Amino acid sequence: MSAIATVIRRPGEWAWFGVLAVAMLAGGAAVGYVFVAGHDHALNVSRQIPWGILISTYVFFVVSSTGLCLVSSLGDVWGFKAFEVIGRRGHLLAILTLLTGFGVMAMELNHPFRMVLYAVISPNFSSPIWWMGALYGLYLVLLCGEFTALMIGSRRMSFIFGLAGFVAAISAHSNLGAVFGLLEARHYWYGSFLPIYFILSALVSGGALTALIVYFNHKARGISLSPDYERFMITVGKLQALFIGILMFFIVWKMIPGLYGKPPEKYEATMVLLAGPLAFNFWFFEVLIGMLIPFLLLINRRTLTPFGVTIAGLLCTIGIFFMRYDLVIAGQMVPMRESVAEGPAHLLEYFPSLAEFAIVAGAIAFCLFLYSLAEKFLPMEGGHRH
Amino acid sequence: MSKFLRPEIIGKGSIVSRLLKRKLSRRRFLGVSSCALGTVALGSQLNVLKALAEPGSGVKLSLVPDRSVFTCCEMCVNKCGVIARMREGVIHKLDPNPSFLRSRGMLCARGNAGLQTVYDPDRLKYPLIRTGARGEGKWRRASWDEALDLVAGKMTAVADQYSRAGMMFVSTEGFQEEFFLRFAECFGSPNTLRHPTLCLASNLQGFGATYGTNPFPDVRNADYLIMSGANRAEALFTPDSIDMIAGDGGRRKLVYLDPRFTRTAAKADEWYPIRPGTDLAFVLAMLHVIVGEKRYDREFIDTMTVGFDELVPHLETYSPEWAAGECDIPAEDIRRIAREFAAAAPRAIYYQGRRSSFFDNDTQLRRAMAILNVVVGNWDVKGGMLPGKKIHLGENYYLAPWYDGVPERLETGDVTYLSLKDGAWKPFRDRVLAADPYPVKGMMVYKQNPLQSVPNRSKTLAMMEQMDFICTIDITMSDTAWYSDVVLPEATYLERLDPIHVLSGPVPEAVMRQPCIEPLFETKPNQWIMQQLARRFGDEVAESFNFTMEAFIANQVEGHPEILEALRTRGVYRENDEPVYGASHGKRMKTRSGKIEIYSAKYAKEGQDPLPVYRAPQTPSRGRYRLLLGRTAYFTHGTTQNNPYLHELMAENSLWLHPDEARRLGLRDGSRVRVRSSVGEESLPLRVTEKIRPDCVYMDHGFGVLSKGLSRIHGRGASDAALIEDRMEPISGNVAMHQTFVEILPA
Amino acid sequence: MSKKRYAIVLDTRKCLDCKACTVACKAENLVPLGTENYRNWVSEGRLRGSYPRLGQEFVPGQCMQCGNTPCKRVCPTRATGVGAGGIVTVEDKKCIGCKYCMTACPYNARYYNEERGAVDKCTFCAHRIEQGRLPACVETCPTNVRTFGDLNDPDSEVSRLLVERPYRVVKPEMGTKPFLFYLI
Repeated sequence: MSAIATVIRRPGEWAWFGVLAVAMLAGGAAVGYVFVAGHDHALNVSRQIPWGILISTYVFFVVSSTGLCLVSSLGDVWGFKAFEVIGRRGHLLAILTLLTGFGVMAMELNHPFRMVLYAVISPNFSSPIWWMGALYGLYLVLLCGEFTALMIGSRRMSFIFGLAGFVAAISAHSNLGAVFGLLEARHYWYGSFLPIYFILSALVSGGALTALIVYFNHKARGISLSPDYERFMITVGKLQALFIGILMFFIVWKMIPGLYGKPPEKYEATMVLLAGPLAFNFWFFEVLIGMLIPFLLLINRRTLTPFGVTIAGLLCTIGIFFMRYDLVIAGQMVPMRESVAEGPAHLLEYFPSLAEFAIVAGAIAFCLFLYSLAEKFLPMEGGHRH
Repeated sequence: MSKFLRPEIIGKGSIVSRLLKRKLSRRRFLGVSSCALGTVALGSQLNVLKALAEPGSGVKLSLVPDRSVFTCCEMCVNKCGVIARMREGVIHKLDPNPSFLRSRGMLCARGNAGLQTVYDPDRLKYPLIRTGARGEGKWRRASWDEALDLVAGKMTAVADQYSRAGMMFVSTEGFQEEFFLRFAECFGSPNTLRHPTLCLASNLQGFGATYGTNPFPDVRNADYLIMSGANRAEALFTPDSIDMIAGDGGRRKLVYLDPRFTRTAAKADEWYPIRPGTDLAFVLAMLHVIVGEKRYDREFIDTMTVGFDELVPHLETYSPEWAAGECDIPAEDIRRIAREFAAAAPRAIYYQGRRSSFFDNDTQLRRAMAILNVVVGNWDVKGGMLPGKKIHLGENYYLAPWYDGVPERLETGDVTYLSLKDGAWKPFRDRVLAADPYPVKGMMVYKQNPLQSVPNRSKTLAMMEQMDFICTIDITMSDTAWYSDVVLPEATYLERLDPIHVLSGPVPEAVMRQPCIEPLFETKPNQWIMQQLARRFGDEVAESFNFTMEAFIANQVEGHPEILEALRTRGVYRENDEPVYGASHGKRMKTRSGKIEIYSAKYAKEGQDPLPVYRAPQTPSRGRYRLLLGRTAYFTHGTTQNNPYLHELMAENSLWLHPDEARRLGLRDGSRVRVRSSVGEESLPLRVTEKIRPDCVYMDHGFGVLSKGLSRIHGRGASDAALIEDRMEPISGNVAMHQTFVEILPA
Repeated sequence: MSKKRYAIVLDTRKCLDCKACTVACKAENLVPLGTENYRNWVSEGRLRGSYPRLGQEFVPGQCMQCGNTPCKRVCPTRATGVGAGGIVTVEDKKCIGCKYCMTACPYNARYYNEERGAVDKCTFCAHRIEQGRLPACVETCPTNVRTFGDLNDPDSEVSRLLVERPYRVVKPEMGTKPFLFYLI
């Protein structure tokens, strides 16, 4: 009875949870299919492109988590007052995106349970993936500590956990860059660029997502922004403009060495993005949607409004999703072995399967679902100094 | 019958049968839902092993064999020595037998894939009787008794209504083919039809008419090899394919003529994309140089040959400059190759190849090749052409009944030299269609697959359509089986005990097949099938089949137990390890003159050219291409394309076309095209490649099957048999497969 | 007795691209059916020149049993290790299927074997070596492209070949120190 009453009272909320439920059902069905049919058939990954959209979505989620943590800790750890309002929400979403990310990755792993066991009893300290597990595990614990501290309002505790979490986030996330960056075989990924780039792009992600949660919370509740939030939005907007500016600078310098002198394999992978199969993703989603439009919105005084910052954040987030995808796939598209005897050099192909899409959609919905529940049942308003 | 169906065999068979059935249905199910899923669901060897090993004790699978069986391969005609590694009663791996000299201790992809013939869900399992229309694919499972009764009844009906010659017996080589031929003879039909006129009949004829035998090239010891029309790196033939490479990097020189850049071309020192059908001009020009410059072996010619004096004036007009215009090979190269060849002689071989069903001048081409070898003294010398030798085995005698009023072979008189055992496919089929001079209304088929192998498939279909009855014995549902009325499943070579066979050659070897496992399902060796059928034709016929395989083999080795001992312990028997050279010098050759015949008096008598005369092939008109066909190392004719392992190596054939022509036609690499000849149309993917002459197109043989019983390849690629016009070389009756012009159209 | 270091020396000039090695390996090692599932391969080299002057090489390969193993380095659970004779091994039960080793291998020598539930790769047929038999690919090859042996034995055929003939390894710039040697 009460549920129906709620539905009638709040059709928007009902629609929101309805959409999430459909996406989660699709994701759940896809997960079931993976277990029944096996990875080999459910996923479009192959011998030559073993990492697909699930890995890139995992990266997207943990980048989001890192970004949320870094941006949220600006208030609690680094004393930027404007950011204190985002403390609880930011850290909560950081936890949820991290957990969702783990979940998505577990779907790509053939034996997630073996991992739990053998990562402990047979660790390989030279493996970036082992460190990834260890550091993100530590990071998760610290995030939870920080979130608890924020919820109980312990300033000292939140500072300690916040600082530790900040360090863990930086370590874990730069190490994630190293998961790719330490692969000598993959010229497009190899080097120190990715660990640094991952931190920077996390900041963009974090800024975008915090703006989104603030805006949509108020929208959902039908209330207008308080001056604190107003100030937060504008500050985030300005910061975001700076981050995007640096990001564009990074992208330019990622591309130039990939073209200059046509370094083998790196050049081909770079061209995949600039003029190859992923060019639309790159130019439209990454450059236009992910960077140029948000940047223009944010540096233009007339559009530097809470709504403008929100739109920029939304576009950025979409763009970053594609950045992750393109990064993971482009790095694998140049074959490790020449496979064509005649004609132009051959690029490998990958396009996600229906099951992969469904898992991604389900994961995003699951993350939003948990967050929506938290908003409904936990006191998320404000930081610890209210 | 019952003694062959011992309970434990049925037991084991049924485990596998259940297993395979389950897999089959799962694969079909998945096949509907997504083709990408198809591969997984195919029975994997591991699953077969697991399923067999698990009932009982959950035996842990190891990769170590528990038993080894010496046997010999049947994936192609080479009969390489095999050691089957067995585990838990399942064939795990087929290893090469290092003691088997002729294969140089190797086993190719097909040999290795042989175990899948046993465990392939597509194999024939039970006798089948057609219930729908021919080719519709509706069958019902029958007992052996019912199927054999039906076959015997239909054969008798044909014999009664027409004559015993109204039954034709179609077969191809194999260790149990002799029982099929014996049955044909005992039944009383002269109309046996074998594969040679689709293959090497003109080769045997041309070399035979010259040397009196088809010699064996000593490729291993040759210093100079010329191969034309013999793609030895892909059409693997032992030991030549291996020996051709063994000298690579050493003093050996390999000159290769082929309109395609094959893998042999990639291995050759020189490759010339010769215009198809002009090889004879090349050989005659080489002869012109060698004879004109007196680079021949005068002493050999004087002592061992006849007709050289007729040859000299015959060659006058065949200059390298003339040949260059025919072959598209520069005159100076022809001249140089001729001189190099003569200088390397007698360790110089103009290799005769195997399949020679290319052009209607083929017997004369082979004659010219033989003559070229002869004039440089290439006979029974190290690195030259060697006589074949044999190991003598005991005979298994039988007495075929005599029937009155049976006419002569159907195509008698259509071919200059018709083999009574092999027949000639093209004229035979034409005469069946015309019912001239008498109708042929029944067809027994063993192993051969004429729908895939005889040019102009629509004629073969028409021939089969007018049959009252067709029965096919095979291990898979070939196209021919698919269009039959009764299909009888033979046991595969790994499940059979086969008679000892001697592979003749410079170093003859005897081999035998020992069964690795009992026949799965209800499959039976052909000898058993023939025996059971014979019993249905009265005591006189049955008498000729009243023996066990063990007794048959015992007769073969009577007085020579060492042969059987060697076969059991080493898998091969031979009397010496190295060829003996020169024993035939000064001895009589098996020709009418007793000498090697450069000038063929017998050809002259038959109205054929006594010395090879060149006649230029037709050239394709604009917009048309000469259709070539050939082989890869993965497939034997039309038989192994559906093998799970080999299918992975090539799932479909494609049409090779030169990039310039593709551009002209506006066709892209990988796009699907239609190929149209005067007799048929097929469609397949286009492969644009520099590897082919611009005036030719090429496809691999053996795809475009009609049978849905070959589930992996049905609907894939094109069949050359559907496109090639049926033309014939008149002396040997060999078909001419490279004389068809086609147009290429977008699909 | 000194430790063994197994290696394969390949003479690609002899290779016909007949794929005997590939099929032999699939049968011997129970590699599941499927074109993605294989432990060794023969690559068609790039077609050199243009009609009618052409050249082509065929290059067989398999796990290079590297001396410096990127696959072992990145495996989070030490499922990949180096066994007797320098053979790179995968311990099935420890493999979590993260496929990191597959992205780390510059030779694409690894694949995920669904039936074993682990990443799989060439082991030089270690089980055959133990029985004194040759690896299946080496034994079955019609033209003896591959020569297998112990590089720590100076009298072995592989040692002799590497002394007498110049050779190359694949992607030496990767620093993987491969133990598949290609004669030039």
